[in-house]
Amino acid sequence: MRAPVVALVMLVPAMATAADVVAIRGGRIVTVSGPVIEKGTVVVSGGKITAVGAAVEVPAGATVIDASGQTVYPGLIDGLTTLGLTEIGSVAGSVDTTETGDVNPHAEAWIAVNPHSELLPVARANGITAALAAPAGGLISGQSALLRLAGSTPAALTVKTPVAMHMVYPTGRPAFDISRLFEEPELKTFEERQKDKKKSQEKDLKRLANLLEEAKAYGAAQAAAKAGRIPPPKPDLPMEALAPVARGEVPVVMRVDAEDDIRGAVKFAEEHGLKLIVAGGLDAWRVADLLKQKDVAVLASVERLPRRESDPYDAAYANPAALHRAGVRFAIVSDDASQSRNLPYEAAMARAYGLDAGAALRAITLSPAEIFGVGDRMGAITVGRDADLFVATGDIMDPRSGVTHVLVGGQEQSLETRHTRLYEEFKKRP
Amino acid sequence: MTGPVLVAIVGGTILTVGPQGTIEKGAVLIRDGKIAAVGRDLLVPAGATVIDATGRYVMPGIIDCHSHTAIEESVNECSDSVTAEVRITDVIDHRDVNLYRELAGGVTTLNVLHGSCNTIGGQNAVIKLRWGKPPEELLFKDAPRGIKFALGENPKRSNFRAPGPPRYPATRMGVEAVLRESFQEAQAYKREWEEYEKKVKSLGSRGDKPIAPRKSLRLEELKDILDGKVYVHAHCYRADEILMLIRIAEEFSFKIRTFQHVLEGYKVASEIARHGAGASTFSDWWAYKMEAYDAIPYNAAIMAAHGVKVSMNSDSDELARRLYWEAAKAVKYGGVSEVEALKMVTLNPAWQLGIEQRVGSIEVGKDADIAIFSAHPFAPDARVEQTLVDGVVYFDRAKDVAARTAPATKAGGSP
Repeated sequence: MRAPVVALVMLVPAMATAADVVAIRGGRIVTVSGPVIEKGTVVVSGGKITAVGAAVEVPAGATVIDASGQTVYPGLIDGLTTLGLTEIGSVAGSVDTTETGDVNPHAEAWIAVNPHSELLPVARANGITAALAAPAGGLISGQSALLRLAGSTPAALTVKTPVAMHMVYPTGRPAFDISRLFEEPELKTFEERQKDKKKSQEKDLKRLANLLEEAKAYGAAQAAAKAGRIPPPKPDLPMEALAPVARGEVPVVMRVDAEDDIRGAVKFAEEHGLKLIVAGGLDAWRVADLLKQKDVAVLASVERLPRRESDPYDAAYANPAALHRAGVRFAIVSDDASQSRNLPYEAAMARAYGLDAGAALRAITLSPAEIFGVGDRMGAITVGRDADLFVATGDIMDPRSGVTHVLVGGQEQSLETRHTRLYEEFKKRP
Repeated sequence: MTGPVLVAIVGGTILTVGPQGTIEKGAVLIRDGKIAAVGRDLLVPAGATVIDATGRYVMPGIIDCHSHTAIEESVNECSDSVTAEVRITDVIDHRDVNLYRELAGGVTTLNVLHGSCNTIGGQNAVIKLRWGKPPEELLFKDAPRGIKFALGENPKRSNFRAPGPPRYPATRMGVEAVLRESFQEAQAYKREWEEYEKKVKSLGSRGDKPIAPRKSLRLEELKDILDGKVYVHAHCYRADEILMLIRIAEEFSFKIRTFQHVLEGYKVASEIARHGAGASTFSDWWAYKMEAYDAIPYNAAIMAAHGVKVSMNSDSDELARRLYWEAAKAVKYGGVSEVEALKMVTLNPAWQLGIEQRVGSIEVGKDADIAIFSAHPFAPDARVEQTLVDGVVYFDRAKDVAARTAPATKAGGSP
């Protein structure tokens, strides 16, 4: 696997700037992992947070950011995006989210990430400092990478890869395709359609099961070859990528919304020893106890319509609060690229519908970090963590608040974006 | 029924979005569906139904100036690029549950538009969210007529392949030509009818009646646009096509009432203002297609600074439920004042639809279309508690929650 190499490579840029010491002084520090410090200082150095507290001295020679009257947050983490993989949705040449065919376990998101995408600074300017970039579509979409939103090469952006293998739980329903709108609808009864759906779903699940069995065997052959017992198996990229998934080492992020399908995904994961994370999870509130019992985390997208006419109007808005009450681990995600900057308002909506403010903030900071296995490095303001932070004029979940400073890896980032450039140019036009 | 129906909303902070500004611990008195009094120390008449809004915020019902709710599967008549004869009023599905979901987001009026498939699309329907009423009772009585135009990628069908032979136009040149050709035809049609009517008049009761020109539903509508009887709501993105439509409209002496989406409106804000059009935009959608790549969230602020009446719309059954936060983003991006931002989802879209004398602010004499929030509508924990249309409570969160079955079952339940 190439992944560990990347993880090593990306440490270098952070070390190269170790001399920079920055102190953010006088702000209200929302640490997320501990109590709020009403007025304090955060010192960062060598890309890490080196001091946090009410009585911390500003080191001599440090660059000082005055955060008086403002709030200091850990950088927001958008736990499901296509950032870096898409520029303009309708322009195929600018989109690298979805590979041909439906089994692409060897598609690695970090490889296709464009560090110079205009979308990255736009997300970053609203406090998003890290994002999970994930491939989409098919049955096995590929491997996601956790990106830090600063740097000039894919490796420099990549904090961790693979984070997970992304799959789409087979619903038996064809994916939305605009050209199908022009087709004559098939005249079938409800029962016939249900039967078709079940058949197609069973077929896909069987395929998935076979692939995982094959990957297990491939992994075993690799291990036997390593021990010198057999010659190495014929190189097979998809199998090489799936083997650690089948062993339960790399988690599976399964896109799944309907209650029956979530139950199906949990059962499938259990049968095959997969470490499951649910993405989307529109009906997760209906199966919260099961998800708690099986320790399945949810990447929940909040601003969605309910699935059924009979569902409560606020089903998606109140979903995170229900998961929180049941003790399910969850993150709130944008599930988008250009809308990633609105992540804090998705959290706000969950808050308006019952999630407490602290849990809402955790769902876009520490919780995704923990779900992705980097909870010791990111997602909170404590000594030793990565210096990904930002300063806001007020509550970041309030759509009126502005962001005044963003640090990624201890480096202050420009807040200039494609949007501010056009704004500056045209606000002067008479 | 005997006597007036009286409702009093008491104790809340009233964001009137009108001349009375913000009233703390105020009251709104409603008589027969109209706002009868607004103020601090109002006497609640005996027999009034009292809504206690203590600790809550009361604002005018939200108006979404770009919606396709309640017309699923009938949004676009795509078979021709000019379909001025088709009417959204014919296809309203009053059972669409999204009408209720939008009420739950404080929305009370929608501009239900034909889709953007065609250069000249169909006629709109302005409706009120009187959930549970039949289609004809949803219509906003006496709202000015309107029609949808569309420019750019959608009418030229850039982003999908439809079966059959390609449809004209396929470029922005062609879109302009379709407009020019259509209005030339409409002018000729209008002249024909004027000459005929003149002849009829001059003949009086003498002689045989001349033969009337052939009636065309399509050209009748275009003629009415030329005569200023129909508001044009034009879907557009790029600055060049906005200027193009202004040129066409001014050449043929009609007005564009609103530019819809108008994501590059900020590049030609002074031209839009000079023409006298409004602008109904997304707060911050961008990059989903080529013509949305220069979209900026400061669009509303720049256009507003040039004097354009700006509204924030949804074009989405989901986004429609949180237009209050879309308005709040105008404060963040470009520093629009809070009251001006509130106008972007109330009074400004009301003006854009020509119904500002009836709705859009809490003022005596206006329809009692009101949203009651748990907190300031721009605050991060704001939630709609009650929504009134014509003084009638059509959404009540407490009742909605109480009506849910518990514990969660297949058919019901609650998160």
